[in-house]
Formats: sequence, structure tokens, C-alpha cells
Amino acid sequence: MSDPYKPRAAFAPWDRRESPGLFTVEESARRVGTYKWLEMRLFESLGGWVATVPELDVKLVLGRHCYHHAWHAELMDKRLPELREMNTDRLCEPANDEIVAFVDALREPEAPEHTIEKLVGVFRVLLPRKIAAYTYHLNGTSRITDSPTQRSLGFMLQDEFEDWREGEMLLQSLIETPEELERATRRQQELEGLLLAAGGIAGPGTLGPVAVNEGASV
Amino acid sequence: MRKQLPPEMLARDSRFVRTSIMDQVMDPRNQLIGQRDLGSARLQPERPAAGDRARNLMHGIFTGEIQALEGAGRTTFDFDDEQAPFALKLDMARQCWDESRHVEISVELGAWIGTEIGEYSEATFLYEAACAPDPILRLCGVNRALEGLAIDVFNTMKEFGDLSGDPVLEFCEDWMLADEGTHVKMGSDWLRGLTADDRERRERALDFQRTVDKLFSLGGFRGETDENPIQLARKLRQMAGFSTDEIDELAEIALQAKADAEAMVAGAGGA
Repeated sequence: MSDPYKPRAAFAPWDRRESPGLFTVEESARRVGTYKWLEMRLFESLGGWVATVPELDVKLVLGRHCYHHAWHAELMDKRLPELREMNTDRLCEPANDEIVAFVDALREPEAPEHTIEKLVGVFRVLLPRKIAAYTYHLNGTSRITDSPTQRSLGFMLQDEFEDWREGEMLLQSLIETPEELERATRRQQELEGLLLAAGGIAGPGTLGPVAVNEGASV
Repeated sequence: MRKQLPPEMLARDSRFVRTSIMDQVMDPRNQLIGQRDLGSARLQPERPAAGDRARNLMHGIFTGEIQALEGAGRTTFDFDDEQAPFALKLDMARQCWDESRHVEISVELGAWIGTEIGEYSEATFLYEAACAPDPILRLCGVNRALEGLAIDVFNTMKEFGDLSGDPVLEFCEDWMLADEGTHVKMGSDWLRGLTADDRERRERALDFQRTVDKLFSLGGFRGETDENPIQLARKLRQMAGFSTDEIDELAEIALQAKADAEAMVAGAGGA
């Protein structure tokens, strides 16, 4: 029988979590605020588009995904006060003007003939960018001090991967002619250009080292 | 994408056929059909036309769920953060998911009882309740009036499933009923919360709900007598938060709607 009073390390040998991580409290809060802003704009867009797409399967998928992104926004909203941001509206803002331009362009299509343009914006441009940014945050932040953010990002990434796959399959089933392929490609390039100008969904540094005056890498 | 999408812009594939509710109510054949004395108008399995009526009703549920989905979706988009609180939009997004599931359930149930998409026409009067420019009016129209109607309709279909020995129909309708109670509560909570300091706005919202409820009574389609195919589900409405006074008022509105429709049809016939 093992001795329950024998001293053991706080971390099991296989537990390699480390502290600190790449982000300060302030930088993690800033990113969380930008994610919340973007998730809000996304779930609003999906909700608005439901009535504008004639394809029944697409209509139902948009309705379901609308809630996924609303839940992500709610998770981020709940995390902000825990990151010393009691006014959760203050940091719920776009990273810069360029990301606003991107979102405006993303939600611009309305006509029932433009389902491909709507879906390309979400599933071939925005969701891959979100997956990249959330993964960078997940891997870069401290797995001990910022564990609550990581846990939420993990749930969100699970949705993002599954939603991306579903959206991509819808797109592949909708693109049937060279002209439709050209529309999809052109749309993706336009939107990618806007995100490039924005520096990513959280602005410059979305996937890179945090600027010296903003972060506190140790 | 514009704010406030009008009903005529609702996107549908080629199977759907659109009609207007006034055309349906004012159909001169209604008067002749009404003159036939066939006993109770309730949905009962022993009636010869019960199967066709159930299929027609199921198709109406299907198109109604699509419009409820679209209405909830538009409420997430049409209002900015000042007009509609963040938590209200989260509720509407949740409702989008629920209504998507209801459409899926309705498609499956439609196939189960022998109808298919496009077999019956679609009127957009349910979505029209979701076009109010004030989010509180919209929630009263959709979450209290439309979702309240859904409680009555689903309960009628659930009972029909029970009476006709169809456990699949009964099971699915019961699950949808659970969601509708949640949606009604959402509407009631937001009505109370957002108008706590604005009695005039609350009255406007409740007036709008009465108007929509009258429209949704469809000239006698819903009520509490044997002449109403859809019965007011008093107990379930109480569970969803409607007061006895509100349900009594709704029963009165339904009677008025029936009398109005009969007068209109008689007037049209005499013209």
C-alpha cells in the first residue's frame, strides 16, 4: 500500500505545463475583446443571411452556426472581467479600421444568387484565420495562469474546425462550373487582401511576437 | 446586406409556392365549406380528411419554422448594440439553432406522414410579425404571439399523434413543444426587462401582440370550441408564462377573428 503522506511534486512527471506564457493579462484581454467583437459580427451576419439564401440545407446550417459563434462571443464576454476588464464593452472592439473594412465587405452580399460569395467569406477566409489566431493564443499563453482562456478557446476551436469542414463541403457541392469557381476564387482573394491589410483578425501580431511595449515575454 | 428585409425578399428554392393569407381567408370556397355540417372541426383520426389535414398542417408547421428561423436571424442582425442588448441577441442566436432543428424535424415528419416540400403553398404572415422596427415589438410578435401559436399547433399535433397511434409524431411534437415554451419565456422576460421603466413602450408592444394574435387566429382556425381545428393549449401556455387573463383575452381575440372573417366572406359573397 502506498504511503499517502509521502511528499509528491505538484506536477506529475508527464505534466509539462509551464508558466509564464507569451501574453500579459492586458494583452490576453485585448485579444479576447477583439475575438468577442468579431464573433458578434459573425453571428449577426449568419443570422441575417438565413433569410437571403434559397438553398434549404445552407439556410439550416447558417442557423445552427449562428448560435455557435454567439456562444463563442458569450464565452469571451464572460472571460473579460476575469482579466480585470470590468467594462466588457470597452475592449469589445475591432483590432483596427482595416478589420472593420474586412467585416463590412464580408457581410455585404445579400442577393439570393450570391450564396457562394457569402460562404467563401466565412468558410474559406474568416474561419481559417480564426482557427490560426485562436491556436496561436492557445499555444502561446500560459497553460497555468491563462488556463480559463485556453479552455474556452479549446471549445471554440472544436466548433471552428467542425463548422469549417461543414461549410467547405457545402461550398464544394455548390461550385459546379468554371464560372462559379472563378467567383469563389475572386471573392477569396478580395477578402484575403483586406485581412492582409488588417494584419490578421487581432491586428498586427495576430500570429507573431507581441510588440515590446505591449507584451511581457519572459 | 440591408437592415430590415421585407417579406417578399425571403429566399426560397423552386419547390416553394407563395400565396397571401388574405387570399386563403377570403377564398369563396370557405363559405360553402363552412355551410357543411360535418360536426367538430377538431383534428380527429376518425374523420375521412384527417390524413390530408394533418399533412397540410405539417407543411404549414414546416414553412412556419423556416420563417421563425429567419425572423430570429434577422433580429440578430437588424439592430445595433444600443438597440438590442448583447444578451438579447444571444437569445435570438440560440433560437436560430432551435428553429433550424425544428425545420429539420418538420421535414422528417412531413415525409413520415406522407407530404413533401412544396405540396402546399406558403404564406409569409409569420415572418411579417418579425419585421417590426422596435426589437421589443418584434419579440412580442414572434416570441409571444408566433411561438404561442406554435404551442397550440404542436399540442394539437401531439394529441393527434396520440389518438392516431403515431408515437413518432407524438414524440417529435413534444420535443418541439419544450423549445417553444423556452422561446415564449424569452419573449416575456425581455418584454418585462426592457420596458420596466417605459410603460408606454410596453403597451405598444402588447397592442402589437394583440394584433398579431388576431391575425394568427386565422379567422377561426384557432380557438376553444369544436369549430376550431387548433385548440388553445391553456395548460402549456400557463407553463410558458402566460397568465390566465392573457389566455382569456386571447380566446376572446380568436372569437373576434372568426366573426370578422365570416363577415368579410359574407360581404364579399354579397358584392
